[in-house]
Amino acid sequence: MDTQSYLPVEPGVGMEENFLSLDDILLSHERLPIRTECRFPRLGYLERSTDAQDIPEGTKMELPLWLSKGLYEKKRRVLSVELPKVYREGWRTVFNADPNVVDLHKMGPYYYGLGSQMLHFDSPENPEIAQTLLQTFVGRFRRNMDSSQNAYNEDTSALVERLDCLEKALFASGQSGLNGFQSWEKGRASQLTASSLVLNYRKRKMADGPP
Amino acid sequence: MDPSEVEFLAEKEMVKIIPNFSLDKIYLIGGDLGPFNPGLPVDVPVWLALNLKQRQKCRIVPPAWMDVEKLEEMRELERKEDTFSPVPSPYYMELTKVLLNHASDNIPKADEIRTLVKDIWDTRIAKLRLSADSFISQLEAHAKLDNLTLMEINTIRAFLLDSLNCMYKLRSNLQPGSSKKQFTDY
Repeated sequence: MDTQSYLPVEPGVGMEENFLSLDDILLSHERLPIRTECRFPRLGYLERSTDAQDIPEGTKMELPLWLSKGLYEKKRRVLSVELPKVYREGWRTVFNADPNVVDLHKMGPYYYGLGSQMLHFDSPENPEIAQTLLQTFVGRFRRNMDSSQNAYNEDTSALVERLDCLEKALFASGQSGLNGFQSWEKGRASQLTASSLVLNYRKRKMADGPP
Repeated sequence: MDPSEVEFLAEKEMVKIIPNFSLDKIYLIGGDLGPFNPGLPVDVPVWLALNLKQRQKCRIVPPAWMDVEKLEEMRELERKEDTFSPVPSPYYMELTKVLLNHASDNIPKADEIRTLVKDIWDTRIAKLRLSADSFISQLEAHAKLDNLTLMEINTIRAFLLDSLNCMYKLRSNLQPGSSKKQFTDY
């Protein structure tokens, strides 16, 4: 059995992020196009395109998700968020037509995570966005399951490169199930093998070598 | 759960052996194991049978279902039906592997049996994937599958549970009212 040295905190897939999850922290760095609804005095240096002292009302800029979520308020005093391209009408029809052909890694490696976070921003299209996310996941499920459960001892990079981060985690768990079963069937499960932790530690020590 | 753990559970199944030694009845916590007389068949758990076989103290009699014709029939039945057909033993995969590895000299046509069992396994796993896919694509909440063995469930368990978790969270996005209260304004 392949035990890891630590169990990573998994990302919260829905509207709540897990505070300690590395995937969610990386996700919150994604930039969103926003439009300011009020003046930001003396923050002109954040917006590189103009040399003004402060950011006037109505500027379009890009802020990361963590900042946009913190500044967003229902009364819309501070900023309003526009949907990124991938969640708009045009791409939504593409996803509804055939989710399997899309390269989700290119569409932002955190398609599902960012989509769920966008639902915080009260866009009128929220129900459709949520529905598209769910339908895309369901549509791609079959292919992900087949590829993760059948690719044994092969180079899976061609299969994995079109997957979003969430799907990559699912792929890895499918592969571990498959590898466990195959190694049991070959009889390797009852042989003593060096733990991966020990092997890595040994390699690192040899790389240090004599100073 | 590990495949090795499933194999451990499978070793509780009883199998017939023919010992070549004699021993009185032994009283174990799990139950009594009958007196051993050379040449007379006796039922023992698989773990004991393997141990005795490795010490060359017995001969293992293959279970009734481990027979080429019976397995061929089972394979045809499995291929015809859309649902899972009743399985020869709830641990057929493990018993096949363990008995064929250690006692293949006592089992006639061991290679054919191995191939047949693998065919049955592949058919059942394909049906399992198909039903998992239809379960997810129709967004159902309950599914009932009869005649599944622990080993089959074990191979798909991690992937299916993780996917169902993700699907649940994505579905909860559709009801915005329930999760709004967790988003606090500072």
